[in-house]
Amino acid sequence: MTGHERAGAFAAALPGASLTSSFGQLTVDVPADAWLDALRRARDDFRLGYFDWLSAYEDTDSVLVVVCHLVALEPVEHLLVRTRVDSEPPSLPSAVSVFRGADWHEREAAEMFGLTFTGHPAPGPLLLPAGFEGHPLRKGFVLAARVARPWPGAKEPGESGSAVRRRRALPPGVPAPGRWGPADPDGGQP
Amino acid sequence: MTVPSPPPAGSRGAIALLAESCTSCMLCARECPDWCIEIDSHTENEPAAGRRPRTRHVLDRFAIDYALCMYCGICIDVCPFDALSWSPELVDPAAGVAGLILERDQLGAFVTGS
Repeated sequence: MTGHERAGAFAAALPGASLTSSFGQLTVDVPADAWLDALRRARDDFRLGYFDWLSAYEDTDSVLVVVCHLVALEPVEHLLVRTRVDSEPPSLPSAVSVFRGADWHEREAAEMFGLTFTGHPAPGPLLLPAGFEGHPLRKGFVLAARVARPWPGAKEPGESGSAVRRRRALPPGVPAPGRWGPADPDGGQP
Repeated sequence: MTVPSPPPAGSRGAIALLAESCTSCMLCARECPDWCIEIDSHTENEPAAGRRPRTRHVLDRFAIDYALCMYCGICIDVCPFDALSWSPELVDPAAGVAGLILERDQLGAFVTGS
């Protein structure tokens, strides 16, 4: 059974699942309510017993997508299992009961994207300090360093650092001065 | 330092600057996702006999902070005058982060094969 045949059989065995191939990488998309069942069947029925990693990303339509990389060993075959988390607030059953190693991966995905993995044995932040607000890998998260540092592209052609400019170009994705962060004690206006 | 020849397929060296081709248009500095390009320039009046006087931008400073650069090559892609290009040379290690800010002359030394 080749990797493609295995992935095809896996996708066919799950209702609502679909197989795509992109640059040699096989991906099976499963519905969110079949997530745990899909991982369990991948491990038990399709020899995809090696859990490599689990992570998430925010799709262009602001929906969170959770991806899990599973490997069949000897011979090595890779498969990505992917699901879109449509629920609001976003939550997905924890895969720790299937793959023990998913524990830290889920904690990291949870703190970075604001996901909840229901049934996780030890939820809580993994990398971020206690009391950290926000979810750094969401597209709407403002990078404080970008607000604090002057943008090199703000200068117009023919300008130096000290030039007085009439209209300031603003970097993409960074709020205008005074629109974000703690209020300026001087009132923000010169 | 140079990549062993031939360099591995798809590998990237440093970003070289041909300052004579640069018009200080700021496109690379604005497109850079890492904000690692700093450009200073000023405007000079060109002497014009019998024509409308013209101004042109003169490059004063062009620096790439290789501590921030992730070698994405977007600056090379957007440069309308091909002043920026890939070089097979590598950026030398430095004793501190400040030593990785390479100025115009150092970036010019990366230009090869002219």
